Amino acid sequence: MLSFLATPTLPLASLEVGHHFYWQIGGLKVHGQVFIVSWIVIGILLIASLLATRNIQRIPSGMQNLMEYALEFVREIAKNQLGEKEYRPWLPFIGTLFLFIFVSNWSGALVPWKLIKLPEGELAAPTNDINTTVALALLVSLAYFYAGFSKKGLGYFGKYIQPTPVLLPIAILEDFTKPLSLSFRLFGNILADELVVAVLVLLVPLFVPLPVMLLGLFTSAIQALVFATLAGAYIHEALEGHGEEHGEH
Amino acid sequence: MFDFDATLPLMAVQFLLLTAVMNVVFYKPLMKAIEDRSEYIRANEAEARERLAKAEALAQQYQKELAETRKQYQATIAAAQADAQKLSAQKIAEAQQEAQAQREQAQQELDQQKQEAMQALEQQVESLSRQILDKLLAGVSL
Repeated sequence: MLSFLATPTLPLASLEVGHHFYWQIGGLKVHGQVFIVSWIVIGILLIASLLATRNIQRIPSGMQNLMEYALEFVREIAKNQLGEKEYRPWLPFIGTLFLFIFVSNWSGALVPWKLIKLPEGELAAPTNDINTTVALALLVSLAYFYAGFSKKGLGYFGKYIQPTPVLLPIAILEDFTKPLSLSFRLFGNILADELVVAVLVLLVPLFVPLPVMLLGLFTSAIQALVFATLAGAYIHEALEGHGEEHGEH
Repeated sequence: MFDFDATLPLMAVQFLLLTAVMNVVFYKPLMKAIEDRSEYIRANEAEARERLAKAEALAQQYQKELAETRKQYQATIAAAQADAQKLSAQKIAEAQQEAQAQREQAQQELDQQKQEAMQALEQQVESLSRQILDKLLAGVSL
């Protein structure tokens, strides 16, 4: 055991961190396993949506009921963050963030991807690849910049020096820490969860990892909620910002 | 672990596409369904409330009419009773008056007859006493 842990190329319950199933697309390298699982996730979301909206009834049942519940849930997130007036145009973005991350996380926790062999690397939740989480976090940054500019034009920059120009460096720093914290929080939680489960499975197979797996499901759901909520909060901040203070001056 | 490559922009583009597609196949139709439903519920509720108000107004009107009718028939009964009372009182008074008149008439007749009888008696007394006197005086004048 000790010698196993000491080996520098420890396979961590054959979990291969940092090994990827590379695809070459016109001289660009992409992580194939991330895309495969993300396509499956997207497929699940689209098929569920199509099933739900195929035959819309006034009294919902089955798939429509489930997806309406999901919609009401993400609508509550968006509404709580952005307010009744502003939330509607941002609902698809925030809602899709939540649904995509949630289904991704749970697919990583629930589907035994290990049974499918790849030439290199392994299938896992798309959110345990840093590229995915950074992509989503940068999209959130772009979204709140877009929200700020479309609402206030260049006056959006006013928020950097609004209370006092002394805070300008911190305000600028915030624009970097926001996507950074968003992406690393999600990435770290999901990857750590999968690592913990994998290590526990390696050390004590069968029933002992089950509570950790349940905890993993919980964490996955919470992380999706946190990501979507923070995205909404950032967009709301850009929309409102120091608008009220402008009015007072 | 931290190897960034073309996965990042492609994933971003893919996510934006997913958002756009989901907007068409998920958010728009289901939001419309939810809004339609709440609109339908609101309309139904308003209609039901209106009907309830109407029913309550009708019930109130019936109640009022009922009370009015009850008052009317009570008044009718009271009037009829008063009429009957008056009529009976009048009849009784008439009958009493008639009886009084008859009694008075009888009394009068009786008095008249008594007077006549007394008169006749007085005349007889007169003639008798004269006769007595004559008889007595006849003896004295001797």
